[in-house]
Amino acid sequence: MTRWLRRRGWKYASMIVVAAFALFPIYYLVITSLKTREEIYSRTPDLWPNHPNWHEYSSVLGEGHVGRALVNSLIVASGTMVICLIVGALAAYALARWRFKITHLLLMAVLMTQMFPLVVLVIPLFVIMRKADLLGTYWSLIITYLAFSVPLAIWVMRSFILTIPEELEYAARIDGATRIGAMIRVVLPLAAPGLATVAVLAFLEGWKEFLLALTFLNDENKKTMPLVLQSFVGRGDVDWAKVMATSVLYTLPVAIVFVLARKHLMTARTGGAVKG
Amino acid sequence: MSTGSAAVSAGRAARAPRPRGMMARRAVARLTLPVLMLLPAMVIIVALVGYPLVRTVYLSFTDTDLGNLIYGGSDWVGLQNFKEVFTDEHLRASLVNTVLFGTACVIGTMVFGFAVALLLNERLKGNFVFSIAVLLPWAVPAIAAAAIWKWLFDPSYGFVNWALVHLGFDSFQDYAWFASRFSAYVAIFITVCWQSFPFIALSLLAGLQTLPKETLQAAAVDGANSWQRFRLVTLPLLRPIIAVLVVFSTIWDFKIFDQIYVMAAGVPDRGADTAAVAAYREGFALSHYGLGSAVAVVLFLILLAFSILYVRLIGKEGEL
Repeated sequence: MTRWLRRRGWKYASMIVVAAFALFPIYYLVITSLKTREEIYSRTPDLWPNHPNWHEYSSVLGEGHVGRALVNSLIVASGTMVICLIVGALAAYALARWRFKITHLLLMAVLMTQMFPLVVLVIPLFVIMRKADLLGTYWSLIITYLAFSVPLAIWVMRSFILTIPEELEYAARIDGATRIGAMIRVVLPLAAPGLATVAVLAFLEGWKEFLLALTFLNDENKKTMPLVLQSFVGRGDVDWAKVMATSVLYTLPVAIVFVLARKHLMTARTGGAVKG
Repeated sequence: MSTGSAAVSAGRAARAPRPRGMMARRAVARLTLPVLMLLPAMVIIVALVGYPLVRTVYLSFTDTDLGNLIYGGSDWVGLQNFKEVFTDEHLRASLVNTVLFGTACVIGTMVFGFAVALLLNERLKGNFVFSIAVLLPWAVPAIAAAAIWKWLFDPSYGFVNWALVHLGFDSFQDYAWFASRFSAYVAIFITVCWQSFPFIALSLLAGLQTLPKETLQAAAVDGANSWQRFRLVTLPLLRPIIAVLVVFSTIWDFKIFDQIYVMAAGVPDRGADTAAVAAYREGFALSHYGLGSAVAVVLFLILLAFSILYVRLIGKEGEL
């Protein structure tokens, strides 16, 4: 027993410490959102809500802009996801089946959009959206998020399509399908894991993005979740109960998607550069 | 009708002796579909990434206020803005902050992430639950993470101060973390590490699992202890992945915006702003769009250097 403790015990101990560091903030977030105000503003924070209640959730969803913001974020993220899939799949297919010599350019675009700070582009983007009369609309965000999610989408989907034998398409075309028909009915179903990865990535981009939303949206009714959450935290006198309930509502949907899609996200985040 | 068919036959007559032109037309016909398929993506990328990049570089050489920005007519000032970036105390400080804070975050996440990867690779009991626990912080959006940690570091009611006081550090009673630059950075550093170590740990774990077991066993047979095995076998074999991860996290940590914008907002004199936040504020809060662009361009150049380094690294490993 002592030998076991010496050899493996410290490993289990550090595992518990790391897990606690990873999980405690999330746990504390959830319990704070369930506490009453007296418990939250107490000098000795309890690690358990003594009178757990959903009051704060119904209150932020009812009166504030949080309900509206959830809908806005959902519209922007889904819009980005759907259009990114269509635009990305078309381009990825073209790049996989016709050997254009722009693969290096594509990788450049992937790197640019994944790495370069948004703040470099935000001033001209603001002018473009103003001139197009799109400031304050969902479209201003969806179009810009597309610019940042499409290159990676093409990159991911192209590598999937390259693994699908072209003979399958010939078979479909001999049976009378058009090139596009063969792509939609034969190639895309086989590339489904790639499409799923791209869908998740594009949705997350639209759900999480803050800087551009801050720049483009002024109307309270159009604000997305990160904006509303930031406006709650940014006040001089922060209402932490409200902030925590809003944070839970903001995080929960993407956390579920994230855990389910974890394997695909790992490879996509680095554009496949880190091979596992 | 007759003119139409005449034109067609004239076209045929003209084309017949020139097969080169016909081939070109066929090539055009063959390429119409793929070009049409590529077009939407190209237009979006060029219009919303390519053009703005060029435009920002142009703006950084001009004196531009909101009116100039929208209706045109900015004054060309040459390198004036860049001179100001390096002489203005706040802007220069923001660049120094970016480099120091970014480097600290890279070292923090890499070291901690590596330790967690080694731990995950031990395949202890409960490893699956542990790996999900490690993954979760990565799933939290940046603004939510900033909110959570700002609450944990709250001076009066925050858990961190309460815990520190109970561990015997009485000076942390009502300690205001966001009242000075250094302590604010400590809090933001922990937030950033908490969010970014999962990716590093899981990527390195993937690398560790590809290591040849025979090599490690051979080293053990030859009498190398576990530290020697780590330093002389594991580290050199993982070098390519480590290099790529260091470059990636450098780029991510240097351009951090969301957490700083939310958490460093209360620091006196905006002393904890990084270059990304300073560039944004210079533009959109103070209407100095030219100067803001210049700060952004400097940040861009720093990151460009890292990206070139990155492309070289993966180019060498033959990953392209």
